[in-house]
Amino acid sequence: MPPLEREELPFDVVFVGAGPASLAGALHLANLVKLHNSSGGNLGEIEIAVIEKGAEVGAHGLSGAVMDPKGLAELMPDFLERGCPVEAPVGKDAVMYLTGSAKFTLPITPPPLDNHGYYVVSLSKLLRWMAPICEEAGVNIFPEFPGQSLLYDGDQVVGVRTGDKGIDKHGQPKENFEPGVDLLAKVVVLGEGPRGTLTKELTARMNLDRRSDPQVYALGVKEIWELPDDRLEAGTVFHTLGFPHSGEVFGGGFLYMMKDRLLDIGLVTGLDCLDPQIDPHHEFQRFKTHPWIAGLLDGGKMISYGAKAIPEGGYYSIPRLHSGGVLIVGDSGSLLNGQRLKGLHTAMKSGMLAAEAIFDALVADDYSSDAMLRYSQKVKASWIDKELYEVRNFHQAFEKGRMAGLVTNGISFMTKGIFPKRLPIHAGHTRMRTLKEYYGKTDVQKYDLKFDGKLTFDKVTDVYHSGAAHDEDQPCHLKVVDTSICVDRCTEEFGNPCERFCPAAVYEMVGSGGDRRLQINFSNCVHCKTCDIMDPYQIINWTPPEGGGGPNYKRM
Amino acid sequence: MKIVVCIKQVPRRDDLLRINADKSWIDESSLSFEANESDAYALEEALRLKEKHGGEVIVATLGPSDASKTIKEGLAKGADRAIHLCDSTFEKLDAVATAKSLAAAIGPEAPDVIFTGLQSDDLGYGQTGVLMAEMLDLPHASIVIALETSEDGKTLRVKRELENGWFQWISMATPALVTIQSGINKPRYASLKGIMGAKKKPVDVRTASDLGLNADALTPREAIGSLYLPVREKQTEMLEGDAETVAAALVARLRGNGVI
Repeated sequence: MPPLEREELPFDVVFVGAGPASLAGALHLANLVKLHNSSGGNLGEIEIAVIEKGAEVGAHGLSGAVMDPKGLAELMPDFLERGCPVEAPVGKDAVMYLTGSAKFTLPITPPPLDNHGYYVVSLSKLLRWMAPICEEAGVNIFPEFPGQSLLYDGDQVVGVRTGDKGIDKHGQPKENFEPGVDLLAKVVVLGEGPRGTLTKELTARMNLDRRSDPQVYALGVKEIWELPDDRLEAGTVFHTLGFPHSGEVFGGGFLYMMKDRLLDIGLVTGLDCLDPQIDPHHEFQRFKTHPWIAGLLDGGKMISYGAKAIPEGGYYSIPRLHSGGVLIVGDSGSLLNGQRLKGLHTAMKSGMLAAEAIFDALVADDYSSDAMLRYSQKVKASWIDKELYEVRNFHQAFEKGRMAGLVTNGISFMTKGIFPKRLPIHAGHTRMRTLKEYYGKTDVQKYDLKFDGKLTFDKVTDVYHSGAAHDEDQPCHLKVVDTSICVDRCTEEFGNPCERFCPAAVYEMVGSGGDRRLQINFSNCVHCKTCDIMDPYQIINWTPPEGGGGPNYKRM
Repeated sequence: MKIVVCIKQVPRRDDLLRINADKSWIDESSLSFEANESDAYALEEALRLKEKHGGEVIVATLGPSDASKTIKEGLAKGADRAIHLCDSTFEKLDAVATAKSLAAAIGPEAPDVIFTGLQSDDLGYGQTGVLMAEMLDLPHASIVIALETSEDGKTLRVKRELENGWFQWISMATPALVTIQSGINKPRYASLKGIMGAKKKPVDVRTASDLGLNADALTPREAIGSLYLPVREKQTEMLEGDAETVAAALVARLRGNGVI
């Protein structure tokens, strides 16, 4: 394609990704500016934009979710009066240990999983509620516009280029080609969620992770079920450990009861497994075959599906959260509390702290790296830092398996995190063993569960229930640098794990003999980012597809 | 040239449909909405006419207040202003009442061309456009898959899709109403600048009484009694055994049913 003149649109602040961190940040900033101007300040009109790759705000929002309202209450003390769509306050709250056939309820709920005072929420609904409130405050929200790349002046970030639209599968412009535009900004805020495209690029360029540990992820795979009766009260929260995971796999299950007889059920599986055969979607289907869970779901109907990576690295994996003209918030900045399985409160708080730092920068008219440092300092001085510091070894302790993890975390909790001292952590893709190393052979079939279409579903059926759709006539957004590795080396070493770790049946080895090749069904993609994270050769680059593509979550 | 495009907001085609508790309609709380597909093509056709002949494009939408999302999208793509028929009286209208309401709002504008989509993707009557043409005493052409205009814009030449792979070209003088089939063009994307600009474009919200209509005049002549999902009643019986046994069993079964 010939180089083209791109339109430049000037803003003051651009947030990338309309998740809880960005929306809280944008609203807080709009409020700060308004207050400043009405009390004699002279900032004048500050143009704030939020761009979002999903078809609408909330379409890509997925979380468990049990929300600690701490963050939201700071942003909007009257959130309940303003109609915040909470499903129910947490009522019955229990943790179970599952064996293949039985369950043991822990006599007391471990304090980090005590959810009293919190709310069962749907993140996609929560975001859909927040968006119009932001717009009323003057924030411009642009769904269907992904951030394609950052714009730099030297090393200073000066804006974001949005994705082109109307390019065909061969990379040629279609009749309705609409080039991406350059959104110029004094400050760009990256709230892209886990493994953000721009965050990844910025981190590499500016070496933001040179002092931090690698990020480690888990994958949450989730369905929503409509139950036939009121067998579970809204607000019921169950967490599980054990089945279906083997002792070396990090993860656990969750069941959160929403309103209208709708049940959130999901399984979190670490993406730092040694086993190259692990299939988080399949593990989740096995989870539902546990007699207790199958009984709870009996007579119900699966109505929705989704999957999303979760940053589990925590405190030591937090990169430098600022650079000239740019800040990193929420999951993109590793601010989720893995032990409490919560990140909405820290995401919102980080967005608000970003807003406060940006406000100071606007007043001083200084957006340099030194000025942006204010944000990192604010995070450091806030309850986010305190909360994450106490559980700084949470995930690391599980690298040696579930029992070691539980014991170490018990010690850590009792000593307020003083013991153990800093434990090492390893990026998931470096931990995956080859078939030979793990199984001693290459001919392995780990799973034997046959999906029945009632309780358990194959990936294609589940993906259909995620509402995922992409215009087929566009370039594949999953860039595999060298597909020749797939055919021989990867098949031999790892047995093509992409076919299993992707929860949406995007990757498929097709053909046989000399015609064997990797087929990428990108239209299925639910934007969970697992491939980018877990590919052992790190040759898959997840890039945003044409704006509006992806899942269409309504109540995830 | 003054062009009105009627756009309806409908549930997204790939959404999962659930029937509501009293079986009167689908459960809208779990749906997302978008512009009716053929209406989106109609809008593009209108914008192209404006680019050729100048003038203005007006979006007309009858729907609840959150149909404003679809209206804004039309304005972002290049329409100049919008009329939004928004009033509880307008809920659950049939095609006649919908056409009557739209005609009451559009008639006074005296447009040169009115575009509608071929049919709505939710109710699928395919009548609103043609009924409106009759009410406004305009010539109309339906299921249009190509459209040309004379230099002065006073004559339309349209290609209609008929049955069995047949087509029909007809010419008609403006003012006229045309119902557009999906696929006639390649709809444009809303640009970021367009979305910003749409905020400042006027949307004229009208109620039934603004248009001199009341509930009596809009009483539907038909109503949905009850909705249900089709029940699968297929019963397949597998005959087991080698070819001879199966053939014999099949013949016996067909004889037993009186088929042969």
